[in-house]
Amino acid sequence: MSVNAWIIVGDQPTVGNLITVARALGGPVGAVVAGPRSVAETVAAGGVDRVVWCSAPGDVPAEASAPAVADAVAADPPRVVLSGRNPSERVLLGAAAARLGAAVLTGARSVSIDGGDVIVVNAVFGDIADETVAVSGPVALLLDGGPVPPADGGGAPIEEVSAAPLPLKVVETRMHDFDEVDLNSAHRVIGVGRGLKAKEDLTMIEELAQALEAEVACSRPVAEGLNWMGKDRYIGSSGAHIAPQLYLTVGISGQLQHMVGVTAAETIVAINSDPNAAIFQQTDYGLVGDLYQLVPAITAALK
Amino acid sequence: MKIVVTYKWTCDPEEATVRGDGTVDWSRAKPGISAYDPVAIELARRLADAAGAELIGLTAGGKGVGTPIATKAALSRGLDRVVIIEDESLREAGRSELAAVLAAAVRRIGDVDLVITGDSSVDVAAKMVPTVLAGELGWPAVAEVTAVTGQAGALRVERAIPGGVQVLEISGPAVLAASADAAIPHVPGMKELLAAGKKPVDQLELTGLDVPARSAVMTVTGRARPERKARRGQLIDTADPAAAAAELVTALRAAGAL
Repeated sequence: MSVNAWIIVGDQPTVGNLITVARALGGPVGAVVAGPRSVAETVAAGGVDRVVWCSAPGDVPAEASAPAVADAVAADPPRVVLSGRNPSERVLLGAAAARLGAAVLTGARSVSIDGGDVIVVNAVFGDIADETVAVSGPVALLLDGGPVPPADGGGAPIEEVSAAPLPLKVVETRMHDFDEVDLNSAHRVIGVGRGLKAKEDLTMIEELAQALEAEVACSRPVAEGLNWMGKDRYIGSSGAHIAPQLYLTVGISGQLQHMVGVTAAETIVAINSDPNAAIFQQTDYGLVGDLYQLVPAITAALK
Repeated sequence: MKIVVTYKWTCDPEEATVRGDGTVDWSRAKPGISAYDPVAIELARRLADAAGAELIGLTAGGKGVGTPIATKAALSRGLDRVVIIEDESLREAGRSELAAVLAAAVRRIGDVDLVITGDSSVDVAAKMVPTVLAGELGWPAVAEVTAVTGQAGALRVERAIPGGVQVLEISGPAVLAASADAAIPHVPGMKELLAAGKKPVDQLELTGLDVPARSAVMTVTGRARPERKARRGQLIDTADPAAAAAELVTALRAAGAL
């Protein structure tokens, strides 16, 4: 059986979305797994037709299996090869793309096959524009991996290959004793922009965040330039792309480069003193006024 | 030891606008060293100093990447010399093609022990050039690197993982993509800017490099502005902040956002 699409998997079976995309192309779907055997088993039960498992010693990271992954993919060359976005998946996809001489696209909104071409609608330059690209030849796509696929009752056969891993090994793993911000899993997010006058005023925003059970994020100048917040908290084309239930902006003008990071938000609220700010064209509820009056008033109203 | 650090001379999409037909207008954007590349150069400089290594900057791109202003901007950040591939055909090159060109240049430079790259380019932000580059060279790649120490053939690399840090040992050449905050790049002073003008700049011809042909050919067949979700666009009267807040909270509860 020759596959139409290969899915590349690292040490997490978070590939639900990749299976959906690969299946929609029609034709057989294979998965190459460079992680523990348990990951290969989860993927095999999740709706693919065949699984190649690259086994490796325990102290070797998934990246070390890059040549084995590239070999497996090149042995049965696909139209499309897909992976999720985490660092080891990117490395494995890069190795496969190099071996295939494949085109690489990372902003696919849709993928289809039209005769000899793979057609991809691809967001470019931090999602500020879309390009439709026709690719003749193999395409490597970096996509959101999605959840762990539920077992679909079937079980694809697992072929084990063991190739010499690249010379790198894990010698130590240290976990932080603090929680990292995960804007993607927050149901509600407050976005702070340059409308805030001083760093101390973030206290007022924190109070609103507490009342709202929200995470605090920001626009790029607040993280890079003012340095009021870490870069992991900035939303926009080159920062985080989030899809919360509620995105409440405070003093953000609504530049395209910021708003592409929140297009998937369910509800958007904007507080801004400038009635002509672009943000008001893109919100569900707009409040034109002084944020120093409105933010405490909303905090009070929530209590 | 020979360390190559790749960098990109390009424009920031924050300064671009998108026309109604989906084409991107860069006319108001000024090119510069891509945002995260100074981080990679700083990280590489510290390693080169500790290991007594040569540090070579490498870039490939369209016309402009080899101008004195561009090479001086890179060299003043601490590179010993730069290798440039300036060819207008690379302006619209895909990730895969660019990585293959960089790999050919690394082979041409010869005896390279380590390639360090930035986290991502400010314009395309694909985070894939270092990984395809490693694939082309047959070297291991590690991304999100926060620290690197050691010597050629015996590197100790720290990389960020969700909730922590992992330490890796690499014996042999490798491609490392620095995390966005791996180092705080220093701002070059006048002395460094002046010295940059005297450092070697090697221009390589694209046609003289051994770049394997790509199997895939990409053709752009359409452009568009991204579709936006329809929004209510309801303005809440703010003459009385308390009343406005109450109205907002009521509306958000009704919409299921709270």
